[in-house]
Amino acid sequence: MQDNQKIKEYDALVIGAGIAGGEAALNLANLGNKVLLIDKDLTVGGKMIMLSKVFPTLDCSACITTPKVSEIARHSNITVLTSTEASDIIQKDDGTFEALITTQPRYVVVEDCTGCQLCEEACPVNVEDEYQYGLAGRKAAFIPFSIASPRAAAIDIENCTLCGACERACPTHCIDFTQTEEKYTISCKTVVAATGFQLFDPTLIPRYGFGRFKNVITSMQMERQLAPTRPFNTVLRPSDGKMPDNIAYILCTGSRDKTVGTPICSQVCCMYSTKQAQLLMGALPMADITLYYLHIRAFGKGFNEFYAQAQSMGVEFVKGKVAKITEKEDGNLILRYEDINTGKVTETEHDMVVLSVGILPNEGITGLFTNRKLELDPFNYVSQSSPLESPAMTTVDGVFVAGTASGPMDIPDSILSAGAASSEAANYIRKVSQNKVTV
Amino acid sequence: MSNGNKKTVLILKEKRQVPQKVKDNLKYFVKIKKEILKALKDKKMTVPELSEVINKPKDEILYYLMSLLKYGFVEVDGIDDMDEYFYYKLKDNG
Ligand SMILES: Cc1cc2nc3c(=O)[nH]c(=O)nc-3n(C[C@H](O)[C@H](O)[C@H](O)COP(=O)(O)OP(=O)(O)OC[C@H]3O[C@@H](n4cnc5c(N)ncnc54)[C@H](O)[C@@H]3O)c2cc1C
Ligand code: SF4
Ligand code: SF4
Repeated sequence: MQDNQKIKEYDALVIGAGIAGGEAALNLANLGNKVLLIDKDLTVGGKMIMLSKVFPTLDCSACITTPKVSEIARHSNITVLTSTEASDIIQKDDGTFEALITTQPRYVVVEDCTGCQLCEEACPVNVEDEYQYGLAGRKAAFIPFSIASPRAAAIDIENCTLCGACERACPTHCIDFTQTEEKYTISCKTVVAATGFQLFDPTLIPRYGFGRFKNVITSMQMERQLAPTRPFNTVLRPSDGKMPDNIAYILCTGSRDKTVGTPICSQVCCMYSTKQAQLLMGALPMADITLYYLHIRAFGKGFNEFYAQAQSMGVEFVKGKVAKITEKEDGNLILRYEDINTGKVTETEHDMVVLSVGILPNEGITGLFTNRKLELDPFNYVSQSSPLESPAMTTVDGVFVAGTASGPMDIPDSILSAGAASSEAANYIRKVSQNKVTV
Repeated sequence: MSNGNKKTVLILKEKRQVPQKVKDNLKYFVKIKKEILKALKDKKMTVPELSEVINKPKDEILYYLMSLLKYGFVEVDGIDDMDEYFYYKLKDNG
């Protein structure tokens, strides 16, 4: 839903429409506040909408996300803008804010697009699909994925040959190559930063061979392989399309590792790897799955039972530090690791390796503010100025943080954090409206 | 969205050059798509078999084959005796 663009005054600006931003926007909207929810991506839903199932309940992630996303899209108090970012945010003396909003052209009039995919069919181009993390292709005229919201096409202008086939094929004439970047200023009473996280880039650990060895993939690539909107017909090795039968996971890839600049735990990798191992045992009943770990951190509700369940299903957990991966001619991979319990250096062969990549901060958020300093914590997440009193408070009065923008956390914690941010934000809106704020 | 009678792509075409690498990418895709579909015309094949016939690396074949699967040109037709590689065939689009 991208209407209502004429209203330039909002109660709240929520930056980032992942599960945390979406939840915060819904809470604020349900309290009667006008919310502008923006995301730089073509769709709302963040990482969660891309996941297969979620630990520890193994509920289908898309099934949980889709109703929430459509509630957001239909809510009369929420304006959603995708391909959109905020900048030059100024706080005024009365505690309210002004922000510059920039929307990139999609070259499709979203309101008129029926999602029929005829443009996709007509488009001759094939490029790597970023929503499948490069495992398969997509067209230059494309709908990001079937449960994207809005479920509307977009033109990837960087890869477009300007052949015009999509425009000729579109039955509603909603493709518009004359669209340009739009910029305008909005005012709002509060800002919620829900800009989420990025994934660790495993090429920074060259000894694991990611990018060189085709069968070394990331956990997000495996997440896509296990999702209903998967890139392949089933789980396959990228090197040759073989169904793998002996898969290794390397936990803590880019977490708790000072040498790559991420000394902290990513909080979710142990459990998402345990989840994927269980899902793989269902998808590939004959496969052996081994998790190489340093410590298993099963700290949340139901996590230890979930870990025990994986063990009882036959998932092998090896306390081992992987030193190096080498590739054999047939694409199989030799893992050289130190068995931490025995101290022995051992080598094992697997036909696929999944790197359980860690979570990193999205540092850009701090540069969006002009006359206030949104401080970061020592690990470059948005600093929580008073984590015990109110975990949503930041170093700027009236700006609140939700979800993984404040540190690594799982979905339930992101939702809780969004609840805290939205109630603080609603309170601040009330105070600003009653002229009770001076900054 | 028609701008008068003129297709909007023509308006953008007056201002924007298509980079050579985009043209090359399209050329390559058209070629490999043709080769894969031709190879599958007579019989179903696995990724390694297609790789041998077309003389392209297996990972590349998989990438393009999976794109063609998504676009509805090919479909799965069983698995080999070792339960390792799937067979793919042309999709019967009526
Ligand atoms: C492989 C993997 C598997 C996982 N599995 C599970 C699981 O099973 N169960 C579980 O509980 N958790 C799981 N998690 C963790 C889960 O993904 C996160 O807890 C959750 O997605 C965090 O949501 P978020 O909204 O904080 O961030 P995100 O999902 O990252 O959303 C942030 C949004 O903000 C947007 N954005 C960023 N910067 C800007 C900007 N400047 N302007 C506008 N928009 C911006 C982004 O485009 C994005 O849409 C998994 C994580 C990974 C990596
Ligand atoms: S104009 Fe661009 S997006 Fe449209 S069909 Fe041609 S290549 Fe694809
Ligand atoms: S842009 Fe047109 S052809 Fe493409 S999905 Fe939308 S309505 Fe269909």
